[in-house]
Amino acid sequence: MTVANEVQKFDVVIIGGGPGGYAAALYGAAAGLNIALIERDKVGGTCLHRGCVPAKEFLETAHVRRTLEHSGAFGITTTGVKVDFAVSQARKNEIVDRLYKGVSGLLKGRKVTIFDGTGRLDANQVVTVVDGADAGVIAEGTNVIIAAGSVPRTLPGFDVDGKYVLTSDEFLDLEKLPATAAVIGGGAIGCEFASMLADMGTKVTILEGLPSILAGCDSEVATVVQRAFKKRGIEIQTGVKITGHTPGKKGTAINMEGAEDVAVDMVVVSVGRSPRTQGLLGDGTGVEINERGFVVADGYMRTANPHVFAVGDVVAGTPQLAHVAFAEAVVTIKTIIGEPVVPVDYDRVPWAIYSNPEVAFCGLTEAGAKERGYEVVVKKDPFGGNSRAQIIGDTDGVVKIIAEKRADGSAGQILGVHMAGPWVTEQLGAGYYAVNWEATAEEAAALIQPHPSLSETFGETLLALAGRGIHVG
Amino acid sequence: MADVTLPSLGESVTEGIITQWFKKVGDAVARDEPLFEVSTDKVDSEMPSPAAGVLTQILAEEGDTVQTGARVAVIDESGVAVASSDAPTAEAQGAVTTTTSPAASAPREDVAANAGATGVVVSPVVRRILSDGGVEASTVTGTGPGGAITRRDAERAVAQGPTEEVTVALSNGRRRMGQHMSVSVLSAPHGFVAVEVDASVMDRVDELGRVSADGYAITDESVITVAAVRALAEFEFLNATFNQDQLTLHRTISVGFTRHVDDDGMLVPVVHAAAGLTLRALARRMAELDERLASRQLNADDLMGGTFTVASATSAHTLWTEPIIIQPEVAVLSIGAVRMVPVVVVREGVATLEVGRRVILGLSFDHRVCDTAAAAQYLERVGELLAGLDVASER
Repeated sequence: MTVANEVQKFDVVIIGGGPGGYAAALYGAAAGLNIALIERDKVGGTCLHRGCVPAKEFLETAHVRRTLEHSGAFGITTTGVKVDFAVSQARKNEIVDRLYKGVSGLLKGRKVTIFDGTGRLDANQVVTVVDGADAGVIAEGTNVIIAAGSVPRTLPGFDVDGKYVLTSDEFLDLEKLPATAAVIGGGAIGCEFASMLADMGTKVTILEGLPSILAGCDSEVATVVQRAFKKRGIEIQTGVKITGHTPGKKGTAINMEGAEDVAVDMVVVSVGRSPRTQGLLGDGTGVEINERGFVVADGYMRTANPHVFAVGDVVAGTPQLAHVAFAEAVVTIKTIIGEPVVPVDYDRVPWAIYSNPEVAFCGLTEAGAKERGYEVVVKKDPFGGNSRAQIIGDTDGVVKIIAEKRADGSAGQILGVHMAGPWVTEQLGAGYYAVNWEATAEEAAALIQPHPSLSETFGETLLALAGRGIHVG
Repeated sequence: MADVTLPSLGESVTEGIITQWFKKVGDAVARDEPLFEVSTDKVDSEMPSPAAGVLTQILAEEGDTVQTGARVAVIDESGVAVASSDAPTAEAQGAVTTTTSPAASAPREDVAANAGATGVVVSPVVRRILSDGGVEASTVTGTGPGGAITRRDAERAVAQGPTEEVTVALSNGRRRMGQHMSVSVLSAPHGFVAVEVDASVMDRVDELGRVSADGYAITDESVITVAAVRALAEFEFLNATFNQDQLTLHRTISVGFTRHVDDDGMLVPVVHAAAGLTLRALARRMAELDERLASRQLNADDLMGGTFTVASATSAHTLWTEPIIIQPEVAVLSIGAVRMVPVVVVREGVATLEVGRRVILGLSFDHRVCDTAAAAQYLERVGELLAGLDVASER
């Protein structure tokens, strides 16, 4: 029962119920705090409803199709493989719904008060619900957490119409896949879409303004993905300058400076995500917003107002990853209740891209390490020689480890672990620990990987890095 | 918001001096965590925080005299641990009335710097490097996020050699004990004398059993204390307090017992009005105090009002101790360990050796009030009363 216009007081009021917001709510409630969560749509946020989770279901559909296509190599004959994408879409919705109910149930179980609508923060940590079923509710928090999230960025000249021009929001609701598609933006999200579409039989072109796709990844890992993409018929144009598009009767043509038009049925725009801070702040909040609209916060997630915190995609200068938002939520709650806490080390968070081949990494790239003045020792091992990779029939990929070079030339502390290949998103854990626990090559190499397993490639690379490999030189 | 008031410090105590704040404005404090120290003329006590939260206001500065029941601080029970180095910790004048809230204007740099993680996470690698190098983590300055110790920090620290000295903050109990002892030694000229007396009474105690009729332990300490208390009736200048050149003789004997608290100094709980007590009653009163000490239930009254103190043996072979006088008392009795010793016995002019039980009693006394001869006489008298104690009827 909520009474409009009467100020309701909470220990913490959270604006936004995505991973950052709901994690803060659950973790804070577990610490005994009285919490209100304001969500305009459904708790779970972009990640659950319009991002990571639905995208991964589609990628898994593509994986199943690929497995069936290659089943002949195992002596299993499949005929008449057909794709009904609407079934996959329905399955995705079921999974999302189940997870949504799970999060909702957890929040209810921990007695988090949920308000339906969009929150606006005013002075003195007062948050007003400005629309939705609970419009008019005023919630005052001793502390407020901004977890307003982000929305897909669009390009000038590409009005999202859901027919020819889509962002991830619209793409993930498709019932039928196009015959041809262009993906604008070859970052993590773009490569996942391109990979999935290609595996499902769509002719895909990636258009990237930078000199390479996956610009944030180590260049050798990006090259592995690029090579695998090309092998599967994905066309990649880098360094392009897109000027607009010309819709036709069926599909549209993308116009570029100094290059021929690319005619496709559909354009997926994946050029990053903008913070959802429009209308978020009233007067006198003391919260600082940077020129790009992101909320400025320190390592303890405090904004310029020490009683207002920010977590997740809305925070300036931090990776837009659900698991980073989870970690930030924990830092925030611990800071609020005065427990000692170590801030998130953004240089060393795990990254995972679920394209085929998958990419996973943690720590500095080779170029990044050199930029910071490190002399480095680098070792890499392709998955080609890995027994398990041959057994599963998926040998495209590489593990690359970058270590600081010691005075005697040997490899010291591990600075970065980069992987491309089968199930590397599930293999990164060991590399993540090595980087974050600041292990040296020989310290990490002394530990054992099971045989036969994909993770042996990581182990082999470590051995080689420590001076002498068994299989790898 | 929760008000912190100065609680009752015991009967007849209406005010106390705030001697120390353990927290500053902006610090997080847990319920029952020591918040401030208050001193009365008899005892210094740590006051636990009545609530968990953030200390947002300090209304009584160190050195202020505060009436019991007055507000001395405010705790925000749901606030953030915002530390603020440039905010005043208290408004100097009108300690109990100021209402400023310095936390709100804290600059963010200070916020981040002061919220540093203290020993939260040390990676296994860093832990091993420090351990191999003999360096203690508490001595290393971390440069990682939140002050975390990075591998480089650890290696740099190890390169400078193993930790040879570690600075350790005194526990509050030790600090209080130290302050009291320093004051006592500096203000009272201590004299000391030790006398060996017959302790064969302990044979009877052992024969009859070490448990009193109502079930409490009978110790060497309680047996000797009965004799010491009774002897005080004849040496009234030792059951006294000395304050500002004035000696006050007390008609009531309230005897304190030294008790060592693990790593936290010493406490002296007091059995009040002990003069008329039988061994049985004294044993019960001492057991009750020890029980409250163990469960941390001692209140200020239990620690105040002593007129004489007994310091018992600290080990099985202690000969004597030279205790420091608990101020403002004038004497403290030291009890050595009751030992089996060879005793020279003269029968019909023939000296022979026998096994006997003896204990050495010592007396530290304030030389402004007492002298060595009087002190020795007192100890001899304690020995006589001890030898004559009717254990069978008193136990």
